[in-house]
Amino acid sequence: MACGVAAAMVAAAFLTMAVVLVAKAWSAADLGFLFDPSSRVADRAGIGPALAGTLWLAALTVAFAFPVGVGTAVYLEEYLPPGGVAVVVSGAVANLAGVPSVVYGVAGLALFVRGMGMGPTLLAGGCTLAALALPTVIVTSRAAIRAVPRGLREAAYSLGATRWQVVRGQVLPAAAPGIVTGSCAAFIRTVGEAAPLLVLGAVSVMTFAPRSPADPLTSLPTQVFAWSTRSQQDFAAVAAGAGVALLLVLLVMNLVARVVRRRLQGVSA
Amino acid sequence: MSVPTTRAAVPVLAAEDLTVRFGRRTALANVTLSVPRGRVVSLIGPSGGGKTTLLRAFNRMNELVPGVATTGTVRFDGVDLHGDEVDPVEVRRRIGMVFQQATLFPRSIFENVAFGPRASGYTGDLQELAEELLAAVGLWSEVAEDLDRPAMQLSAGQQQRLCIARTLALRPEVLLLDEPTSALDPAATARIESLIHSLRQDYTIVLATHGRRQAARLSDLTAYLAGGELIEYGPTETLFTTPRDRRTESYLTGRIA
Repeated sequence: MACGVAAAMVAAAFLTMAVVLVAKAWSAADLGFLFDPSSRVADRAGIGPALAGTLWLAALTVAFAFPVGVGTAVYLEEYLPPGGVAVVVSGAVANLAGVPSVVYGVAGLALFVRGMGMGPTLLAGGCTLAALALPTVIVTSRAAIRAVPRGLREAAYSLGATRWQVVRGQVLPAAAPGIVTGSCAAFIRTVGEAAPLLVLGAVSVMTFAPRSPADPLTSLPTQVFAWSTRSQQDFAAVAAGAGVALLLVLLVMNLVARVVRRRLQGVSA
Repeated sequence: MSVPTTRAAVPVLAAEDLTVRFGRRTALANVTLSVPRGRVVSLIGPSGGGKTTLLRAFNRMNELVPGVATTGTVRFDGVDLHGDEVDPVEVRRRIGMVFQQATLFPRSIFENVAFGPRASGYTGDLQELAEELLAAVGLWSEVAEDLDRPAMQLSAGQQQRLCIARTLALRPEVLLLDEPTSALDPAATARIESLIHSLRQDYTIVLATHGRRQAARLSDLTAYLAGGELIEYGPTETLFTTPRDRRTESYLTGRIA
């Protein structure tokens, strides 16, 4: 009963948010809005570059953080012997998962934008978001790997498999649905982040859609932020429109994760 | 290399003063026991008596458990299994193991049989090999029409026979069977027992079992382990009819569970 009420409240909260956003965004909604570049005039402002920027950032984040995160999780769970080093690394990863995103922005600014000379580009943004997602990817992947029954590992070892054959052949396939679910939740949270990108120096008015990671950093969340701080009333609708677009992007990411997970489960069932 | 006659004299497996500890718990204490080639050796005794630990010492499975400490020697064909040049992966390819619970991979029947040979770089026809091994465990006629079926759909008895087939796929010299029938009903147990009986032609078998009668039916030699110690070891018939140790007698007459 209580759970039912709680579930209803969550559903209601989500619906309310969606209705408010869509209602606000209604006046801005037309096809041009999706593709037009941003502008100083609300009527002509579109989210084309910001949308493209967010898609770039999502791709870069997943491309960097997923292999590194899963690889680290495998190493920590299957290779590193338990003891001092493992405890220190586990503690560090758990702590990093709790560091506020804006702090990642400051670190990214020093390391990627300035230190490595990337400048305020999508690449720098992708690296920073990947670093932000990484601890969560590692933690959830480790949990999924640890949940694989010991009997499965032992059976594989007893059949003369090497450590890598056990990991590759049995542990990873069994853990894959959990790894994908956990990692995707991390990516969805990360791609919706505005704070670290603002610190890196995201541009709020961009006249062309980025075509490579070396193009200037722009994204939907930072665009929402930029428009919502404008004094002109008209920009509120545009900001809400960008918010809806961001939600849709994240929804699509979630759907992709579901499809991938279902296929992985089909393979291992 | 040694002359064949002396080779027959060397036991396939030998534990010498073997002690295994998991953290503070001593699972096996100063056990010395040898397994002659081509024989079936039963390990009997109460739960926690050391049967499984001894079995797992023979193919270096114990070391996969964190916090394990082993002293003493285990020899395979006279070679120290813990020697520097010995690869545990190679050991497990030559000494096969079947577990108490059928631990099939959540894949097809075929994939389960193919995993071991693939891991060790088998280059022959896997389909042929699978058919041969499934026939050897009496499963071929039951599953021949669909090897791509998920292995988990098989009955418990079939699953255990598939586990045995999967282990045989490595062409091991020794089979370690850890209470292979304890989770099975009497009919499935009877099938596994007759399978073990037919496998004794080609393999040296070490069988840990709860069933005293199973040990009596299947084995040439029987060892009674309790509290991590080897209490008595000898020809099955002697041990069952005229045990030397009072503890063995108590166990066999059912006064110790």
